[in-house]
Parts: sequence; structure tokens; C-alpha cells
Amino acid sequence: MPRVDLNTTAPDFALQDFNGNLVNLSDFKGNANVLLVFNRGFT
Amino acid sequence: MAQLRHDYEEFTKRDTRVIVVGPESPAVFAAYWQKNDLPFVGLPDPGASVLKRYGQEVNLFKLGRMPAQVIVDKNGIVRFVHYGHSMSDIPENNELFTLLDQINS
Repeated sequence: MPRVDLNTTAPDFALQDFNGNLVNLSDFKGNANVLLVFNRGFT
Repeated sequence: MAQLRHDYEEFTKRDTRVIVVGPESPAVFAAYWQKNDLPFVGLPDPGASVLKRYGQEVNLFKLGRMPAQVIVDKNGIVRFVHYGHSMSDIPENNELFTLLDQINS
């Protein structure tokens, strides 16, 4: 399974949030750090 | 998730947006966000395309996805990666704050 490596460019992605707004990782470039949390489920 | 909620302001102070990605449907995300009044971005990824690209581990033996965290700086560079090996294997937020302070300095 692919993984991301430290100090490399983060793979960009585009997903809709649960309200239907498109979110690109690259939207935050130059403007904010991003903490991506890959969830383990909502239970 | 409760810990992230609790420390959200601390991430904001450090110019950091919190984005939670999961395989659940938009409806499940919406219900959970509403119930818990979560301030961060929630991205349903029902096709698991981003989850797979970022290598979130699925532990079939334990019947679930393992938690993972990635910090991307303002230049789009990966500065922190943590792949959990158990459901409770999650870094302390204080550890993340220290790193974010270094990234921002």
C-alpha cells in the first residue's frame, strides 16, 4: 500500500466535504498548515 | 476526535487547519459533526481514494482502519507522518504543537 514520505510533496487531492463544497489540499498552500487525520471510525 | 475538538484553538493559533478524512458517507459525517459540534473540515471518502493514496492501513485481523496523521506545511511538503498500529496509537497533540511551532518558526 502506498504511503507518503517525509519531506516530499504531499499528494494533492480533491474531495467534497459533507456539505458538498469541494476541498483541494492545494487550496491551503501558501496559507495554512494542514493536519490530515485519517479517521478510525466514528464509534 | 474529542481531543482534537478540545485542542482545536491551539491548532488554529498555529495556522493549522484540521481535516478529517474517513470512508463513511456524507450523511454519517454530517450527523456526527452535528452531534459533536465539530469545528473542523470533514471529508467523506467513500471510495477510499485518498485513504489509499495516503496509505491508511486496514487491519483485517482487528476489523478496522488504523488511525493515521499527516502534517503538510504551507509549501505543500509532508512534515510529519504517523501510521498507527492499533486503534489507540495516536500521537499526543502536544507533540504535534511542538512540531508545528518548529515548522512556523
